[in-house]
Amino acid sequence: MTRGQYVDPQVSRTKFDREIAEYRQVECDYLRRGWFLVRADFPSVLVVLAAPQLTPPAIVTGVAFDYTNYDMEPPSVRLVDPFTGEPYKAKELPTHLKRSVETNGPPIPGLQLPLGAQARFKTQLPLMQWYGPDDTPFLCLAGVREYHQHPGHSGDAWELHRRSGAGRLVRLLETITKYGIEPISDYQIKLQPLIAGFIQHEVPS
Amino acid sequence: MPDNKPDNKIDLAIVVNGQPTVVSANKNAPLRTVISRALEQTGNAGQPPDSWELRDSAGATLPLDQKISDFNFPADVRLFLNLKAGVGGAIS
Repeated sequence: MTRGQYVDPQVSRTKFDREIAEYRQVECDYLRRGWFLVRADFPSVLVVLAAPQLTPPAIVTGVAFDYTNYDMEPPSVRLVDPFTGEPYKAKELPTHLKRSVETNGPPIPGLQLPLGAQARFKTQLPLMQWYGPDDTPFLCLAGVREYHQHPGHSGDAWELHRRSGAGRLVRLLETITKYGIEPISDYQIKLQPLIAGFIQHEVPS
Repeated sequence: MPDNKPDNKIDLAIVVNGQPTVVSANKNAPLRTVISRALEQTGNAGQPPDSWELRDSAGATLPLDQKISDFNFPADVRLFLNLKAGVGGAIS
């Protein structure tokens, strides 16, 4: 949902400018990790994330931030095509930002555990969430506007996270990098063999 | 100007959620001791030190129980302290 700026623009712009100025102070370190800040024009920021650990290195995704009404509201965060700036649909996402979490898991009939012990399971949950393949996914993370606007998170208000810097540019980039870029270890190659005919070892006389 | 710091002290540049600060630390203390100081100096409140993770400039997570002197940090070292992801990744 697009909303107009209702917070004093000077307040949001000052905080936005601070985010960008602090980023620029340490930009050489961020560059080594594959972060390219390509546009910062209030209230929008576009950062392109690459995977420098690959040979050759790869551009993985763009991340578009919208700091309208910051920090009365958290920023909007979208994974976007790094060349066009268009938000990815779910079916186009280059990374789902999967994280490994422990759960209780389903009850297992016949499983006997010592008193007080609990079976723990590891499962993978994507931080990017959507309902259908043509939806624009959102980053399901405290500190992100789409997370706090979702009815499922009405009990976890932005105000609970605002003072810890959950919506700050670098913090959000760190999280996206941790789950979406750093785990990439190699290219996934898909080969499609094409049958061109038969091989004949001998030609009988 | 001569450096008058005691031998057991070290200044560490720490970037907290993007905001740089310099923390004076005891080399013999575990690394985790710099977290609360860095949070205090940058006015970050609302989340306990356990909700944060400390990385080096290459992005590697640093073991917080290790003594600061064991890392042999160079004088121009810069560390990065960021809020962990916390809850998330599931919508109901």
